[in-house]
Amino acid sequence: MDEPALIHAAQRGDLEAFNILVLTYQDTVFNTALRILGDDDQAADASQDAFLSAFRNITAFRGGSFRAWLLRTVTNACYDELRRKKRRPAVPLEPETGDGEEMETPRWMADPALSPEQELEADELEHAIQHCLNTLPTDFRTVVVLADIQGLDYSEVADAVRVPLGTIKSRLARARLRLRECLQDFAELLPGAFRLEEETRI
Amino acid sequence: MTTLSFRDVELLSAYIDGALRPTDSARLEARLKSDPNLRAVMDDLRAARGVLRKLPPRKSPRNFTLTPKMAGIKPPVPRTYPVLRFASALATLLLLFTFAINGITLPIAFGASAPATESYALGAGGGEAMDEALPAEPAIQLLPLSTPEPAGATRIAETATLEPLPKGFAQEQADQDSARPIPSTWQAGLLIVALALGTVAWLVRIVNDQKWRAKSR
Repeated sequence: MDEPALIHAAQRGDLEAFNILVLTYQDTVFNTALRILGDDDQAADASQDAFLSAFRNITAFRGGSFRAWLLRTVTNACYDELRRKKRRPAVPLEPETGDGEEMETPRWMADPALSPEQELEADELEHAIQHCLNTLPTDFRTVVVLADIQGLDYSEVADAVRVPLGTIKSRLARARLRLRECLQDFAELLPGAFRLEEETRI
Repeated sequence: MTTLSFRDVELLSAYIDGALRPTDSARLEARLKSDPNLRAVMDDLRAARGVLRKLPPRKSPRNFTLTPKMAGIKPPVPRTYPVLRFASALATLLLLFTFAINGITLPIAFGASAPATESYALGAGGGEAMDEALPAEPAIQLLPLSTPEPAGATRIAETATLEPLPKGFAQEQADQDSARPIPSTWQAGLLIVALALGTVAWLVRIVNDQKWRAKSR
C-alpha cells in the first residue's frame, strides 16, 4: 500500500495502516524530538505522544506533505514536554560506565556498521552539536532543527511553529550565527569531524 | 567594506536557502562581489548549516506503534448483542408494566369485595357487628328451661356463624387472583426471560471482547 492509501485507511480508523506509517517515520520523529529536547527519554515520550495525537487527529490532515504534518505534531508534543519539564524538573537518567559514572554521550544505541573511530567521531560530533543546540532558546532551536536538520522549507516551518514567515527567517539567521560561534570551539578540537571550511566552498 | 546590519544577515541566511526573490537575490549578489565582510558572514552561515546537516541520525530506541488500547479503540459490538439487550430491556419493561397494572386493579377489586369481608369480621366477634348480633342472643336465653342444651344451640349458632370464615378467606384469595389481570405465573415467566436474555447478551459481549483482544495482540 502506498502512503496516500495508508493515510486514507488510517483516516477511516485502520490502526494497522497507521502503524505502518509510524514505522516509516518513527526515526524522523524521534530525531526531531531528540534535537529539540536534548534528552532521550523525553524525546521517546514526546514521539509516542506525537503519534498518538497524530492518530487521533489524522482526519484533520488535508493533503500535502505528511512528513511535515507529522513534524508539526511532534513539535507541539515537544513544547508540551518542555512545559511538563518546567513544572516537574527531573534529573535525567544517563547510562553508567563500568566504574559507576554517568556517560555524557549514550553509546548503547550506536550504529554497529561504523568502525570504532567513526563511532567515536560521530559521538563527539553529535555531542558538540547537541551542546550548541542546547545553548539556543527553544524557539530558535526548534526552527533550526526543522529547517536545517529535517530540511523543511520556510513555509512548512512557519506552519509547524505557527509564526509568520518573516519571524522564521529572522530566527533561523540568529540561530545559525550563534551556532557558528559555538561550533568554532569544537572545530578546533575535532577538525576531522567538522571541516567547516568545506561547506563554505560550496 | 560596510558594517552589516541584522537585516543583511537575514538576507544572507535566506539567500543560502534559495528563499530570496530574484530581484533581492541579484542585488545581494552584486553586494557580495564587492564586500568581503558580507561574504565572510555568508560563509559562517553556510558552515553552521553544513555542520547541522552532518549530524548523524539516531535510530529510535523502540517502536512507537500504537496498540488498540492506546488508541482508545473499543472492540466492535457483535450483531446479536443489541438485539438481545433490547429484548431483555423489553421483557423488564413488560414485567414492570404487569406490576403496575396489578397494582392499579387490585385496590378496585378490594373495594368491590369490602362488604363481604366486613360480615366475616363480624362473625369473628369484632366491633359493631356484635351490636347487630346481640338481638339474637336474648332470643336464645328466653327459651324454656326444659328445652335441652340451649347452650349447645348457642354453640351451634356460634359455630354456624364462625364456620364460613375459612371458606370466606379462600373465596377472598380466589377473588383477588381473579381480580389480577396478569397472573403471577406470567410475571415469573417475564422475569426469567429478562434475566436469561440479559445474561446471554453479557456473555456474547465478553466472548467477543476476548476474541478481539486475542486477535489484536
